[in-house]
Amino acid sequence: MGNEAEKPSIITSSLDFLVNWGRTNSLWPFPYGTACCAIEFMSTEVGRYDLSRIGSEYVRFTPRQSDVLLVSGTITYKQAPILKRIYEQMAEPRWVIAMGACACSGGFYDCYCTVPGIDHIIPVDVYIGGCPSRPEAFFDAMFDLQKKIKDESYMKQRAEQVKDQLEMIKAKTAEAKANAKAFAQEKVTDIKDFVVEKEQNIVKKAQFWKE
Amino acid sequence: MTAEEIFSCLEEKFGAKRETLDKWSVTAVLSATYLRNAVEFLRDGDAAKFEMLVDIAGIDYLTYPNHEGPRFAVAYALKSISNPGLRIRLKVLVGEDNLKVPTISDLYANANWYEREVYDQFGIVFDGHPDLRRLLNHVEFVGHPLRKDYPAQKRQWLSTNDYLLPELEKRLQDLGYRVIQRSKEVETNDNEFLEGSIKE
Repeated sequence: MGNEAEKPSIITSSLDFLVNWGRTNSLWPFPYGTACCAIEFMSTEVGRYDLSRIGSEYVRFTPRQSDVLLVSGTITYKQAPILKRIYEQMAEPRWVIAMGACACSGGFYDCYCTVPGIDHIIPVDVYIGGCPSRPEAFFDAMFDLQKKIKDESYMKQRAEQVKDQLEMIKAKTAEAKANAKAFAQEKVTDIKDFVVEKEQNIVKKAQFWKE
Repeated sequence: MTAEEIFSCLEEKFGAKRETLDKWSVTAVLSATYLRNAVEFLRDGDAAKFEMLVDIAGIDYLTYPNHEGPRFAVAYALKSISNPGLRIRLKVLVGEDNLKVPTISDLYANANWYEREVYDQFGIVFDGHPDLRRLLNHVEFVGHPLRKDYPAQKRQWLSTNDYLLPELEKRLQDLGYRVIQRSKEVETNDNEFLEGSIKE
């Protein structure tokens, strides 16, 4: 199946197009706002700039329902495990935007408590500069992300997943077979020992009765 | 009571000295033994009522020019509300060999967290504090970052979330709740998790 899916055909490419169209136009962000970039995101989201024009209609405050993790603000070492856990809780496909200088590189907080860029913790798709970033810059980043998603192939990813799963199943079946074989051999040796013991007993008994 | 009278009172009663380097000359240097008495006097005294504790700050004099004497200091900023504009700052010098200052968290409620912060950043231990843990840095942090001999860019990773459940349980038990059952993953030894925050 894997080989067939890698070749572009009418069905797969149009399915890719359909899936990517759906994904690009409904990017629901999860705002992980810790500093002033989050305020800037608020103005991006509401009236004047209106992020819902490009499909990010809802801001979801749970990682389970969102597609884009939007890290806007300084991340300290105390917070790093929390951010990582939130990223792990998000369902795939998931993307990450690092908004502002602090999230990209730690900004001017070159000190003992600030993580120098969230890419030390989680993979990042798009970086936005600025301190804080303008809403226009945020829109630019969203367009970049949409372009990136359009290049992705759902079928390829699917094929890779299926390949991985097949390999996993094969490995597991081989392991199970080996286990079963070992178990059977153990049993066979046990039974052989048992039979040999019985025979010896019978021989002993026969000798006893002869005497 | 004016500021001068208060200072003369402090000098008489508690052997305080007036700081000469202070720009506004509102600082009195005390010894740690008389700190609680002095704060009590300033809070409940006859005319000078300092109702508000503005801040507690730790100071490290390690690289301070022309400084002699103990390395650390703790400064208490007090403000009067009944006498508008009246402010005073008490300073306690703390030597490196005996990093101990009596707590005033029973006199001012907000001193609780201020003292935790000073402990976190400077390692000064407040005697009699009800809950002396780190406030700003995480539990696995080693050392005290605002000391001058701590390398400012030395970073320390935290491996897991701070474990706050024991504190939460304690607080709930104070309110009359009790723990009936814990799930397995949170049943841990408290000391293991809080070790890094309480001990040096």
